[in-house]
Amino acid sequence: MKTTVNITINGESYEETIPNRMLLVDFIREVAVQTGTHVGCTYEGVCGACTIQLDGEAVKSCLMLAVQADGHKITTVEGLATGGKLTPLQTAFNEHHALQCGYCTPGILMNMDEFLKKNPNPTEDEIRHGLVGNLCRCTGYAHIVEAVKAAASK
Amino acid sequence: MSVDKKGAWVGAKFNRKEDHRLTTGKGRYLADLTLPGMLHLTFFRSERAHSTINSIDTSKAMALPGVVAIVTGEDIKEKILSMPQPVVQPGLPARFPKHWPLAVGKVKFHGEPVAAIVSRDKYIGADAAELIEVDYTDLPYVGDPESALKSGAPLVHDDWDDNLIFEMGFTGGDTEESQAENDAEVEKIMQTADIVVQKRFRVQRCGVTPMETRGVLANWDESDGMIAHITTQRPHIDRLALSDILEIPAEKMRIVAPRDQGGGFGVKAPFYREPILVCYLAKALGRPVKWVESRQEHLMVVSQERDQINDLEVAATKDGKLLAVRNRGLADCGDGCQGVYWGFVMPFLGAVELPNGYTWERGDVKLKVAVTNKSCLSPARAFGEFPTRFAMERAVDMVANRCGMEPAELRRKNLIPELPYTSVCGEYMDSGDFLKVWDNLMKEADLPAFRKQQEEARKEGRYIGIGFGLGVELSGVSSELMVPMENQPGYGAATIRLDARGKVQIFEGDAPQGQGHETTAAQAVAHSFGIHPNDVVVTTGDTGTTPFGSGTIGARFGSYFVSAAVQAAEILKKKIVRFMAHDMALSDATEDDFEFVEGEIIYLKDTNIRQSFRDACERNIMAPINLPEGETAGLEHTAFFEADKPMIAFNADFCVVEVNPDDGQFKMLSWTSSEDVGQIINPQIVEGQMQGAIVQGISNTIFEEFIYDENGQQLTADFENYKMATAADVPNMKITHAPTPCPHTPLGSRGIGEGRPSDVPGVITNAVCDALSPFGIEITELPLRPNKIWHLIQEAKTKQAAD
Repeated sequence: MKTTVNITINGESYEETIPNRMLLVDFIREVAVQTGTHVGCTYEGVCGACTIQLDGEAVKSCLMLAVQADGHKITTVEGLATGGKLTPLQTAFNEHHALQCGYCTPGILMNMDEFLKKNPNPTEDEIRHGLVGNLCRCTGYAHIVEAVKAAASK
Repeated sequence: MSVDKKGAWVGAKFNRKEDHRLTTGKGRYLADLTLPGMLHLTFFRSERAHSTINSIDTSKAMALPGVVAIVTGEDIKEKILSMPQPVVQPGLPARFPKHWPLAVGKVKFHGEPVAAIVSRDKYIGADAAELIEVDYTDLPYVGDPESALKSGAPLVHDDWDDNLIFEMGFTGGDTEESQAENDAEVEKIMQTADIVVQKRFRVQRCGVTPMETRGVLANWDESDGMIAHITTQRPHIDRLALSDILEIPAEKMRIVAPRDQGGGFGVKAPFYREPILVCYLAKALGRPVKWVESRQEHLMVVSQERDQINDLEVAATKDGKLLAVRNRGLADCGDGCQGVYWGFVMPFLGAVELPNGYTWERGDVKLKVAVTNKSCLSPARAFGEFPTRFAMERAVDMVANRCGMEPAELRRKNLIPELPYTSVCGEYMDSGDFLKVWDNLMKEADLPAFRKQQEEARKEGRYIGIGFGLGVELSGVSSELMVPMENQPGYGAATIRLDARGKVQIFEGDAPQGQGHETTAAQAVAHSFGIHPNDVVVTTGDTGTTPFGSGTIGARFGSYFVSAAVQAAEILKKKIVRFMAHDMALSDATEDDFEFVEGEIIYLKDTNIRQSFRDACERNIMAPINLPEGETAGLEHTAFFEADKPMIAFNADFCVVEVNPDDGQFKMLSWTSSEDVGQIINPQIVEGQMQGAIVQGISNTIFEEFIYDENGQQLTADFENYKMATAADVPNMKITHAPTPCPHTPLGSRGIGEGRPSDVPGVITNAVCDALSPFGIEITELPLRPNKIWHLIQEAKTKQAAD
């Protein structure tokens, strides 16, 4: 079974006929070829590497079918910087060494970007709890927490 | 080399060069790569732990539109040589089980590849896997190392006469007589010592799974041969092994480790069976073939380490002097079918590193490793030593408790006071100052104040505790150890190529996994040439362009690779100044009379005489006329750095916990470390390595456990059941330094990070036991779970009530 969908990703609309069973993360990575969104678990929604924003809200794109995103606007990590200018969060990740292998980073950025919009002055505890949907194996999280704090103060 | 000059990049915080692409979604990982005409490979894996394969019916799967090919073990066993192959076979006395990429005759663990489907689309591959039917006859499951080694136990490998893959003694010299004499001496100490702690320590099967799983994209072309992109820490070893096993001449085998890899931690260091099959099928089908491992596959078959029992005895005097150590290690290897490590090299090194940073008069350390019907152990950071160090750090605390001494005081009393030192297990420790590192840690701890606080808290019914630990870690692995241990060289090799614009390219054959090699190497080489790190680019992991390297393993970057890169730079600098002396007629000049600072080369005897670095490079490369006598043009050099002896790094930690005695829950209140990493190149990267390693250790200690049921079904192959630490589970960490520059590397740097999680389980468990000292609880098993702690408290309360 196939359905024709129209999904806007980072401002560009994709009208495509796709199998109904296609996951949104596969649509983003393989149809739209925006490979910054990653897969780290077996589509059980635990690792958070596939986190994107759907109409501004952070969601895990492995837990949705692409057909469910029909008519919606999606932002991925490729869409964070505008006109080549990085967001304060992206810059803070570099300045605070908040990433090592970088595999989880796009998902964390998309989650924390939304988190900071909803909670512009978070406590450390709030940041740590805001991050529980994203696994990072390299950093031990401390530098990520520092970077989010720094971005909040900008 | 002076490090205080302007443009001193060694030691400077310099934001990583890798980060721009990785924070904007422009990283290129294995899963992101595609080629025209590419097919997808899906493994059909065994659902049984130990069964004879009677037949495999692939006909329904083959009939599915979009399926291009399906192969089984029977199809490939005459076409692909079997493992082992010499290049991935250690020089240690062991058995190496014969195997192919797909099971032949029987399956030996839940998750073993049985068939492979090649399809146009990965969804079709998954559909086809549902349609494969295998007729099995179950065999008895061999599920733990003790029953595996009982006489008459069912055999994991039918052509062996028992399930012992490896056995070794580590102490008492090279002859049977000297070993027997040594063992008798140890026995005498055990009989006569004031205090002997004897316990069985167990560490569960767990590891350091990276966020990116494994994968391969292979393409065959009759003229170029094979180009295979592989998630790997060892592209050059993969190249040799794949060439040998697929009988493809080495000049037609090129391996590219993607520049961006999503973590390795040892998991991407073995030579696995899956890439063999992907490359074979790419050639056989004449189409690019890609395999991206699912998380379920990954957790089912790799990232499983630790899994050791250590029966440890420690003898000491009543005033806390450690005398002798005796250990009988037993490791559960799994099926042992895995190139390079074969599941036993980790416990081997764990046994070598058991004595840690303490002085011992004698040791008697022996190890057995058994094969079972589980996935083969694959390496994880704190390679092999996570279980032995847990045992040792716990035992040291138990000795201290029996002596009535502070565990911290007992540790200091027994630290190796002066280096170099060779342990009773033959581990050579080259340099450093353990006491300096320890005293720096104790400044942070303020133990008397803590004990007062602890006493006050107990009055309020609160149980806080402090735990200590320490770790001697490898700083790279010298050829002296690498050749026998892994049949590979230990040297670091770096190529440096200067161009006519004064820019630098560094080529590294090892394949970074996120540790920031591009930044750290650029800093070290920019420092040497007196230029900016942004003028230096680093190419890694492509066997077509980089010098041979044994891989990103054992903390060999900051020790071996960086040293090779600096040596290559120093050789090129000498050539540059010989040209400059010739061109400027500086007949008295020697190679040491020049300094490279801020893009200029300055003649120190007359600092008005200088040349820009760029002009010097351009003259050499683009204007090769009027050369100094005997010189040729060109500024490119490959250096091979080898330390004469193994080198080490050292660390010590403490943490503070609070335990709720009503439910066994505990919270880590703080974590503090003291490190000797030698000369730091980039402090922020070092801090990140330490924090990450400590949290991996915490996560292994508290949460992670691979569980096999009584039939060998693996129950923990997803992140819902294999729990890893989240940001909310872990404390902030204070990383402090008490460095001693390594005298054996050009910068004084040490390799860091690999072994760093090793003392963490001991530190946490010691803290929990310290908090609960009124109950006299001695924890000897991981994972450290609240329910276990609660049970121990209940037992202690019952016992106390009975007394």
